Amino acid sequence: METTVNESGPAPTVEGSVGSPTRRRVSDLQQWRTITFLQLGHYLRTNRFYGLLAFVVLVSALTLAFQVDAGITAVRVDQLGSPSEYLSNNLANTPLWIILAAAFFGGDALSVDFSTGAGYYMLVLPIRRPVLLAGRYAAATLVTVAIVGVNFAFSAVGVIYFFGAPGVPWGLVVESLGVAAVFALAALSVAFCVSSFVRSPAAGVLVTVLALYVGFTTLANVFELASIEPVFSMPYAGGAIATVLDTDFVHSQSIPVGMGQSYTIWTATVLEGLEIMAAYIAVFLPLSAFLYQRKESTG
Amino acid sequence: MTMGSFEVAGLSKSFGTGPPVLSEVSFRYDGAGAIGYLGPNGAGKTTTLKLLVGLLRPSAGAAYLNGVDPMADRKAALWEVGALIETPEPYPTLNVYEALDAVGRARGLSRSDVDHEVDRCHELLDLPSLGQRIGWLSKGQRQRVALAATLIGDPRVLLLDEPTSGLDPAERVLVRRLLNQLKRDHLILMSSHQMLEVTEVCDQLIFLHHGEVLLQDRVDRVADRIRTREVDVEFERPVPADAARRLDGLAAGVTVLSERRWRISFDGADASRVRLLALCQGVAPVVQFANTSLVLEEAYLELMPRTPEAP
Repeated sequence: METTVNESGPAPTVEGSVGSPTRRRVSDLQQWRTITFLQLGHYLRTNRFYGLLAFVVLVSALTLAFQVDAGITAVRVDQLGSPSEYLSNNLANTPLWIILAAAFFGGDALSVDFSTGAGYYMLVLPIRRPVLLAGRYAAATLVTVAIVGVNFAFSAVGVIYFFGAPGVPWGLVVESLGVAAVFALAALSVAFCVSSFVRSPAAGVLVTVLALYVGFTTLANVFELASIEPVFSMPYAGGAIATVLDTDFVHSQSIPVGMGQSYTIWTATVLEGLEIMAAYIAVFLPLSAFLYQRKESTG
Repeated sequence: MTMGSFEVAGLSKSFGTGPPVLSEVSFRYDGAGAIGYLGPNGAGKTTTLKLLVGLLRPSAGAAYLNGVDPMADRKAALWEVGALIETPEPYPTLNVYEALDAVGRARGLSRSDVDHEVDRCHELLDLPSLGQRIGWLSKGQRQRVALAATLIGDPRVLLLDEPTSGLDPAERVLVRRLLNQLKRDHLILMSSHQMLEVTEVCDQLIFLHHGEVLLQDRVDRVADRIRTREVDVEFERPVPADAARRLDGLAAGVTVLSERRWRISFDGADASRVRLLALCQGVAPVVQFANTSLVLEEAYLELMPRTPEAP
């Protein structure tokens, strides 16, 4: 049935109450910026942000405190002979922080639209879903890099304390932070993908951590026992963050285990790490967008 | 302002292998006015609204907003649409202004226009303080913020799923007045269980049952069809209960509610109603003679087939 509701045309507007503001066509890029800032404002006020930040600050501060307590000689001579080496050692945990942050900020980034009323607020706006996804992805990346930046800052303070201010290899630090940012993009791609098919936000966070850290680390260990380089592993690729600063870098090392047997451990080169990360981004980000685009609000 | 339109054409929706929730529903409206979308729980009202805005994919048929299929181009389809479906929840960490600002920006408003629109909605809907966090608001306040979000940017088409749900009586009155004002130059599709709301706001009705349209007509035409079969009479002074015998032969039953008030059931015919009023006036001066229920409520009950009880 086709019906014109008000055949006499629109009645006059009630004075002073309803007026039409000027609306201009807004580009996807502008909407992306709006969503990024909205999401960033949300993330920066969540308990998970403050919790993770406090955890990273605590661990970084304790690490620095123990090193200070051990004394300059122990740090400089025993194992960390150069500022670069010191930084490389200190930043070895960065992939873990990134994976945790990716799980916290990406693990429910899309499922929130289908498990809470947030979707009924956001998905009815004239915004394409890939733009929504891209805005959230950018915000999650910024927050993740900010948290990792704290770890970098503590490490830089350590270099200044042990080796003096001129000893900080700023160029390499920035390069390492850049690799960390790419790793964050890769980890978030996986987290967003998980989030696009799980229903519960908590499940998204848990599955991301289990898959990216526990699962990959376990599989990588198994592959190493078989002397196979774990090029599929995200934490393995994350090793490139520290590799950038590692002056004594060794790609593979054979360790004898007795009875003529040995097994090989690998450390990713920077290029190799970046290639693995790029592969994850190339596969999981479009997949997330595809699944998100097709997902229905059935709840 | 150009007028909006919405259309569903042969729209069907099934979930998995279950029975269809909607079966070939079709209707189209354009211009300005309010359409009530009525039906019992599970009739398919919310599903229709979700299909209209592209939150669900149709199993068959299509939906169009201002002539655009939201499955083909979500941005263009929703550009002139404000939708309040289920219980929208902005992020609880945001404050009221931030939640509305994001909507305004997404709809292409400039900073100053967003501020103007937020102020307008603040006044229209008596919103809570703009600096207050969404997570701290009451259910009713959140519902009003969500309603404000549908109005930001003044979209031509409003799709409202039980817009007064969770509101207190004063808030309901506020929203009904607003909708009555908006329908003059907006096209509103409103699902509701509140017959008073529908009676006061809507010009047209669609009755939905088990995913099928039972009736689609103007409210006044529906009202004309319905015979209300019960009236309440209030006399100017107390009357003896046995005076009700004077209505024998015309009234099917008389319930004495108080010394001055009776409830009379009858066949619902207009001629009978006229004669009943005359007879009542013969008992004592009548100060009120009114239907016990809303005409639409009667229509709803008459139209909705009885669902057989499960064994």
